[in-house]
Amino acid sequence: MTNAAYRRSQLESLVEAQGGCRATPPLLLRADPYFDLAGEEFGRRLLLTTDLTGAEYCLRPDFTLPIVADYIEQGAGAPAAFSYLGPIFRQRDNGPAEFDQAGIELLAQPDGDIALDQVLTFARAALSLYGITPQVQLGGVGLFEALLAQADMPDAWRPRIRHRFGHTEAMDRLLTRLEQAPGLERSEQPARETLVEDVTARMVSAGLSLSDGRSPDEIADRFLEQQALDAAQVPAATLKLLRDYLAIKGDALSALKQVEALGEKHKLFLGVPLRAIRRHLDGLGEARVTFDASFSPRLDYYTGIVFEMRGQGGTVLASGGQYDRLLERLGATAPIAASGCALWVDRLEAEGVK
Amino acid sequence: MTITLAVPSKGRLEELTREWFARHGLTITRPGGARSYLGAIEGMPDVTVRFFPASEIARELIRGTIDLGVTGRDLIHETSEAGPASVSFARDLEFGHADVVIAVPEAWIDVTHMHDLADVASDFRSRHGRWLRIATKYITITRQHFAKAGIAEYRIVESLGATEAAPASGVADIVVDITSTGSTLAANGLRVLEDGVMLKSEANLIVSRTADWSPARKALLDDLIGRLED
Repeated sequence: MTNAAYRRSQLESLVEAQGGCRATPPLLLRADPYFDLAGEEFGRRLLLTTDLTGAEYCLRPDFTLPIVADYIEQGAGAPAAFSYLGPIFRQRDNGPAEFDQAGIELLAQPDGDIALDQVLTFARAALSLYGITPQVQLGGVGLFEALLAQADMPDAWRPRIRHRFGHTEAMDRLLTRLEQAPGLERSEQPARETLVEDVTARMVSAGLSLSDGRSPDEIADRFLEQQALDAAQVPAATLKLLRDYLAIKGDALSALKQVEALGEKHKLFLGVPLRAIRRHLDGLGEARVTFDASFSPRLDYYTGIVFEMRGQGGTVLASGGQYDRLLERLGATAPIAASGCALWVDRLEAEGVK
Repeated sequence: MTITLAVPSKGRLEELTREWFARHGLTITRPGGARSYLGAIEGMPDVTVRFFPASEIARELIRGTIDLGVTGRDLIHETSEAGPASVSFARDLEFGHADVVIAVPEAWIDVTHMHDLADVASDFRSRHGRWLRIATKYITITRQHFAKAGIAEYRIVESLGATEAAPASGVADIVVDITSTGSTLAANGLRVLEDGVMLKSEANLIVSRTADWSPARKALLDDLIGRLED
């Protein structure tokens, strides 16, 4: 057996040994759920085709969605574990559109911390099959959400800031806008009824439906809210806190200390999410672990802790974390804990050769 | 040894392109008339002229199967994400000026900038049970621009004609469309966002970077481009 084939069979065994169900979703899947979950940004990576009725299908672009959707359909609630190894299909700038991914999904586990430990252990074990000691980057979605919930600012700004977490440019633009917010004297607010009337008249004259899509009430309310927002400024101290926090990046231990110090300075309670991150550091062994306060996937169903493992060249070999909001987004009726990761097998194989 | 110049095959674009070349002392001939797809430049036997639809010119320039051609800058950006990197824009032909813009219903008085749109998009689905829908034929450009603006929560509805009518017909909420004066958009009750110009386009003489540029062919290209100095 060649070295490569031997490693592949070891990876197979590792995937099988996860004590769960080996999942093999179909290769051809409805495309709509992917667009619904991840939007056009992910949609442009799909390999699409249509059937005779015009319905859109895609070649399986990931395992998580079909596994989780199937789990929900079977009646979600019971703890479950799934593992997978097989081809996925995505348009990429470099490399073929078909490549292998392996990973695990741990759903409705009683203890989210233990589940995440299992995920990290699995990823580390897979990388060590290829002789790779990775650089691990952790991100704190839960930590940022805790900080944001306590920071002093008008409530209306919190979701707007949360929404930009993980997109450095968009976040920077928003913070810059808030920093430069002019202390404008607001001219007197028009009455809400007048606004609604005005918007309704404009919509009717343009032939827009008043019921499908944005209604005159929604537009008028957001207009007034926006005027109020411009007046209700985020305090300069809070903006500084956000800037300082998002800039924290480096060796995990010292970065977390900086977060702690920043939290104390601003009288924020960050103990619970900080302890959660620290607990996982021990399990990561000799790998170099960094923490980046601004790091998060751009999908809003991630919660808690997220991670990436990189090889020497800096390419991402494994990524995952906790995503407790995913199952609700896919139709579960109650929140269900979820964590998992995906391994880029082709990159592991390339990196392992070095 | 020849190089291939692609020219739009019909309408105003063909006319204006041939006029522009004529102003620079080069006469493009089309011996077989409007039904022929092969032409020449008088006095330049090493240049083959082919007449193609503008969108095919963009595609073939990116692939490198034609060497240079006249088409809209927008089509290069739209045909492929790799488009702009696969060509170089040699001459602005000073016609066909138009902007690819984001326009919202004029009634959306609360949405004047991209960051307003980001806010509206982010909770659109929880309010209305579906994503914000954007009608456009510029799928690649829209996706790139929205990704840069940090907006992921939307769906594109492909629209191959009369995009400006999409909001009124209920097909989409907003549009991404090309406009030179904005009057068609305004007539349909749509307003361009203040930072809503995604791309400024014009007819351009474009050279493929992916074509096979041997020294001899490169010399032919340099000669042709040299004659087209302003």
